[in-house]
Amino acid sequence: MRDTVLVVGAGLAGLSAATELARAGLPVLVVDQAQAVGGAIHRQPLPGVRSIASGAQKRRWAGVMAGVAAQGGRITLALGTRFGGVDHTGAVLLTGAMNRLIRPRALALALGARESVQPRPGWTLPGVETAGSLQTRLKTLAEAPAGRVLLAGSGPLLLALGAELVKLGRPPLAILEAGRPFARPLAALRLPRSYWAEAATYLTRLRLARVPILTGTHLTAIRAEGGALVAEATGGRRLTADHIALHDGIRSNDIGLPDCATLPVVRLGDCREALGARAALADGRAGGAALAARLLGRPEPAPDAELARQRAAQALLAQLYAHDGAARLADLPGDTVICRCEARTVNDLRALGPSPRARQLRLDGRFAMGPCQGRFCGDWVARLAAADNPGPDTPTPGIGAPRWPARPIAVADLLAATDETEGETR
Amino acid sequence: MTQALHHDVAIAGAGIVGASVAWHLAQAGLRVAVIDAVGPAAAASGASDGAVSVASKKPGPLARLASASLLYTRDLAGQGLLAGAFHARPSYVFGQGDAEIAALDALIDKLAQIAGPVRVTGDGGAGALPGLGAAVERLVTLDGEGHMPGHKAVRAYLAAPGITPIWPARIRGLDSDDAGVTIDLGDRRLRAGHLVAALGVSTPALFPALPVQPRAGQLFVTDRGPAGTLPGSLTAAAYLVAKTDAPGVLPLPPVVIDPLTTGQFLIGSSREDHADPTRVDFATMRQLMRRAVDAFPALAERRVIRAFAGIRAAVADSLPIVGPLPGAPRITVATGFEGDGICLSALIGREVARMVQGLAPTDALATDLAALTPARFGAPLQEARA
Repeated sequence: MRDTVLVVGAGLAGLSAATELARAGLPVLVVDQAQAVGGAIHRQPLPGVRSIASGAQKRRWAGVMAGVAAQGGRITLALGTRFGGVDHTGAVLLTGAMNRLIRPRALALALGARESVQPRPGWTLPGVETAGSLQTRLKTLAEAPAGRVLLAGSGPLLLALGAELVKLGRPPLAILEAGRPFARPLAALRLPRSYWAEAATYLTRLRLARVPILTGTHLTAIRAEGGALVAEATGGRRLTADHIALHDGIRSNDIGLPDCATLPVVRLGDCREALGARAALADGRAGGAALAARLLGRPEPAPDAELARQRAAQALLAQLYAHDGAARLADLPGDTVICRCEARTVNDLRALGPSPRARQLRLDGRFAMGPCQGRFCGDWVARLAAADNPGPDTPTPGIGAPRWPARPIAVADLLAATDETEGETR
Repeated sequence: MTQALHHDVAIAGAGIVGASVAWHLAQAGLRVAVIDAVGPAAAASGASDGAVSVASKKPGPLARLASASLLYTRDLAGQGLLAGAFHARPSYVFGQGDAEIAALDALIDKLAQIAGPVRVTGDGGAGALPGLGAAVERLVTLDGEGHMPGHKAVRAYLAAPGITPIWPARIRGLDSDDAGVTIDLGDRRLRAGHLVAALGVSTPALFPALPVQPRAGQLFVTDRGPAGTLPGSLTAAAYLVAKTDAPGVLPLPPVVIDPLTTGQFLIGSSREDHADPTRVDFATMRQLMRRAVDAFPALAERRVIRAFAGIRAAVADSLPIVGPLPGAPRITVATGFEGDGICLSALIGREVARMVQGLAPTDALATDLAALTPARFGAPLQEARA
C-alpha cells in the first residue's frame, strides 16, 4: 500500500485524477462512500434502474469510465468505503466495505461540493430536504416522490432538478428563486454557449409543463399544517406542498481536512473550489497529472486554461443570481434552528452576547459541536453574529477550525480495521 | 516614580485558575482586569474532561490540596456561584493485572491518609457496576468527587462585577518595580498594583526561567448513543501510576472514560511532549479506544465525532508553581497544573488572592502551598522584557 496513491471520491474529479496518476505508472486506490461511481453529478442508477441523465451527460461519463478502463489493474475501486481521515503520521483510516488502516504514498481528496441551505423557520421539518439529496434520489431510483414538490432557494440546480422532475412525469408545484437570473439578459450573454444550451433545455421542459418559476421570491417560512407543508414566500404568497427541496448554492468542501506534513495531500474539483462539472473534470485531470509529476520528480505540466474559463463563468453566474437573502438572516425569529446537529437556535446564539469568540460559540453555545463539525451551520453562525454587530471593527467571528475527523468514525470500525501500516514508516 | 493605576490587579490568563483568582479578588473589593491572548477557557481549561478528582492526584501536597479544594468547590456550588458548573457524582477506578491492582491498594491508602471528603464505598469486581467488561478485574468505587466543565466554571467566575475583560490582547512585555507592574499590550500600556500570571502552557513566553512544558493528551468525543451510560468517570489505575514520581513503563494504556452531561463520552488520554492541539493519530486512538471498549463494551456502539489534543502545562517535578516570583514582589505566579487545574482552581484562586493582598495562607494549607513556590527553581527569576 505504501506505493499507492489514495483518491477519495469516484466522481468526475476523482476518477479523472486517478486515470492520470495511473497513466503515469502509479498504482491508485479510489474509494467512495456510495455504492456506485459518479459522485453527485454523475450518480449512477441502482442496478436495473434506467438512467435519467441527458445524452451529453452520458457521453461525458462514458468518456471518464473509458479512461479508467484503459488503465486496467492499476486502478482499484473500493465502493461503499468511507475516508475516515489522515493523521499526522500519514496513516489513513478507511471504513465500510474496505475497513483498513493504510499508509498511502499521497492523498487526492475529490469529495465534491457541499450544498448550502440557509436556515429559515421550518427548514428542519420532516418532508423538507436539500435539492441535492432529492436529485441524488432521482438519479439512483429514477422515481419522483409522491405528492406536490416545491423547489426553493437560489441557484441553477433548482432549474435542473425541476426539469428532471418533469422528465419523470411529476412537474414541481413551482420554483421559488430568490435571485432574478433572467433580469439581465445582456450580461447573461457573456456566459459560455454550453451554459446557454443547458439552461435552454431545462427552461423549455419547465415551460412545456407550465411550472411557475417565481424569481425574486424568497421562501421565508415553512409550517406543518394538516399533514402537509405550507410555504410562505415574499409577496404574500402561500403554497401548500408535500415535499420541499431547498438549495442556496454550492460551496467548497474541505472543512476538517487538514494538510499532513508526512505525505502530499491535494484537493481537486468542487471539493477545493465549487465550479461545477466542467471544471471538476479539468481540475481532476490537471491535478492528477501534476501530482503524478510531483511524485515521480518530473516537471509539472502547465496549468489548464479550462479552470480559469469556468471560474469566470461561475463568477458571472453568481452575479446573475445575486440576491439579498443573507441580509434576511437578521430578521429570523429567535426560535429558528441554526445548528441542526445540536438543535441550537438564533436565540441561543444571541444569548452569547456581542461578538462571541470561536471558543464561546463552541463551548458555551455548542455551535459546530455536533457530528458535522459546523460544515453546514458555520457560515450562517458567522454571518448572523456579524449581522448583530455591524461596524468596521467587528472581528470576523469565525467558528474555529473544525477538528478531526472530517466525518464521524464508528468505534467498532476503528477497532476492526486491518492494520496495514505495521512496519511501514516514511 | 508614582504612576496612576488602571487596575489594582491584572491577571494574565483567562483559564480556570486566572478566573478563580479574579473572582476572589473582586469579592475582596479590588479592581481586577483579566487579560487573555484569545479569550475565556481558550486552552487547557476548555479542553479538559472536567473531573474534580482527588483520586488522580499525585500523593503528597497535591492530593491534600486537591482534597481541600474539592470541599471548597462544593461550598462554592452550594452558595450558588458554581451551582451550574459543578455537580457531584461517583467515580470509579479499575485495574487489570498486578501493577494496576497494586495501584488501587495505594489509592485506598492515600485516601485513608487524607481522610477528606472522598470515601471508598466499594471494592470488588466488574459486577459492581452494570455494563462493565471482563477486562475490569477490580473496581474501586468512590463517593464525594464531582464533575465541572472548565468553561462553565470560567464563565461563572468572570461574570462577577468588578472584573474588566481584556481580550484578545497579547502581553508583549512586563516591567515590575516595588509599586506595581507595567504591562505592554503592544498598542497600549497598563499599570496595575500586582500581576498574577496564570498563563498555563504560555508561561515560558513571559517567564522563560520557569520550567513549564506543554504535555499533550489526545481526547476523543463520541456522539450521543442509544444505550450505555455511566454514573461517573471510569479511570484505569494506570492513570494513577502515570501521576507518581517513577511511573516507569505503564502496563496498559491510562484510559479515562468520562460521561458528559450531553449524553456523549469523552475518552482520553495520552501524554506526549508537544503543543499541537490538532495532532492526533490512529494508533493511539485505537490503543485507548480498545482498552475503553474492553472496560465498557457499550462504547463500541458509538461514533467518534471529534478528536483533538488538550495541551496541559507540565512542570519538571510534576508540581504546580504557585507563589510570588523571587525578585519581583509584585508578580505572583499560578501555573503548571498539568490537568489538575479544574480540581485545584477554587482553592488556588482563594489562596493566591490572599497572597496578593498580603494575607497569610489558610493555616492548615501553609506547608503544602509552600511546596509549590517558584523559589524552588532558584532566585531571582527575572521576567522577560520585550
